[in-house]
Amino acid sequence: MINDFLEADLTDLSWLISTRELSSAEVVTAALERLKRLEPKLNAFITVLEKQALAQAKTADDEIARGQHRGPLHGVPLTIKDMFATRGVRTTGASKILLDWVPNFDAHIVERLNAAGAIIIGKTNLDEFGHGGTSTLSHFGPVHNPWNLECIAGGSSGGSAAAVAARIGPLSYGTETGSSVRRPASYCGIVGFKPSFGIISRYGSFRGAWSQDHVGVFARSVKDIALGLDATAGYDPRDPSSVQQSSSAYSSCLDAHVKDLRVAVPRRFLDGTNPAVKEAFETALKVLAEAGCVIEDFDLPELCYAAMTSLMTSSAESAGINRGWFRERHQDFVPHVARGLAVGMAITASEYLTVQRARHRIREALRETYEKIDLIVSPTTARVAPPISEGVKGNGDDTRHASYNHSNLLRFPSMLGLPGCSVPCGMSPEGMPIGMQLIGDWFADQTVLNAALAYQGSTDWHTRKPSVDQ
Amino acid sequence: MSSKDDITHRLALLQGVKLSAADLEAITTEIQDLERIVAELEEFAGDTPWVSLQVQPIDKL
Repeated sequence: MINDFLEADLTDLSWLISTRELSSAEVVTAALERLKRLEPKLNAFITVLEKQALAQAKTADDEIARGQHRGPLHGVPLTIKDMFATRGVRTTGASKILLDWVPNFDAHIVERLNAAGAIIIGKTNLDEFGHGGTSTLSHFGPVHNPWNLECIAGGSSGGSAAAVAARIGPLSYGTETGSSVRRPASYCGIVGFKPSFGIISRYGSFRGAWSQDHVGVFARSVKDIALGLDATAGYDPRDPSSVQQSSSAYSSCLDAHVKDLRVAVPRRFLDGTNPAVKEAFETALKVLAEAGCVIEDFDLPELCYAAMTSLMTSSAESAGINRGWFRERHQDFVPHVARGLAVGMAITASEYLTVQRARHRIREALRETYEKIDLIVSPTTARVAPPISEGVKGNGDDTRHASYNHSNLLRFPSMLGLPGCSVPCGMSPEGMPIGMQLIGDWFADQTVLNAALAYQGSTDWHTRKPSVDQ
Repeated sequence: MSSKDDITHRLALLQGVKLSAADLEAITTEIQDLERIVAELEEFAGDTPWVSLQVQPIDKL
């Protein structure tokens, strides 16, 4: 059984709480009960904040009763990846190293969520410190996909994606260095949005690779994503990559009229895509065309080098970040993560700088491309969520060769800081979700959200839910 | 420098961390691959200028 209001999206749930049709305490209690009931199947959480959440829900109810409604997140239960520091609550990064670390400060997004009156009910499972694409590389064991418990949820923000798909809160926050928001969103049949680099402050979240790390949002609808972005976007001097920006109002600027939007398809990179994924994507393109988008194929050979460049950059940077722990406690890392750090430690400074030149060349090629187009669209992933038993190779990534392989499409948006959104666009014959990603120009976050909204307005894939209760 | 010397040099960058034989073999294989990747990226980068502050975002207009 599932309480009907847990089926509601953030927009509806917020209205019910603000009008006192429902109390925050009722909703939070139901979400916590659902979390506890499903957790033995999903393993999506590292820490559950039951006592704190119930106390905050009572406070929210009292405030709302006094007419002090703080906004759309007030009293709403949600979750965050265990990458974000939480004052007085352990923050592990899914590692053994920080198994008992209790920060005395909040990450930026936690501050903003607290100020908005949101109720954080749990901290979600992930690949250790965000180093992975499966959410199997966790000290706390693998996250299971709500659509098929034998399959991965994708990573590294797999716990967040699984929670939202399983209706444990309408919203979750994760991080992305390579594809850690878009991939799990695609695998779990929900929306995942990674804004432009610098839009959401990363203060208080563990660094995976500083020049590629982003904070991202998971929800079931694009409108909820925009609300989640509104609550957390904005300049923060504590993150040196944060950009000056006017107050965020993405939700109020949503506009599904996308007539004449120029949408480009990197066709040559889709050759190795699973047939069911390709078919769903082609159907999705027709929907965008019917909405008024102008669809065209394009080629950008420089993108063939994106996955390699991203891999080398993140390997070197993550080794730089973790070198102290690696020297002193390498045996405490998840073995696959430790091996990756060792390889990163072996990259020299001159090699890293050479890689940055390659990165610059790709960025310049994209910059010229975006003078002629508005969006690049593709399947988010080349295949649906693979079985957990296939391990880290199950994703089928190739980040080691310059070629027209799909991994380049997953990697370039984070490497270059472009805004990207994955929306559900179909189901495989085995009943697993398929996603389409829409990638915009730098700071064209609103354009990405508008196109995703237009797509969702004509389709119902985002309303499908997994039968994890059975 | 021979390939063997180069691997030894790179493993020295691990600053004395002791690895199992299996880990050492896996890491050595990856390091050899790494050298190929860097060579390909160096050729690809070609005459691309050396950029400063390339990891910082452009200010939002």
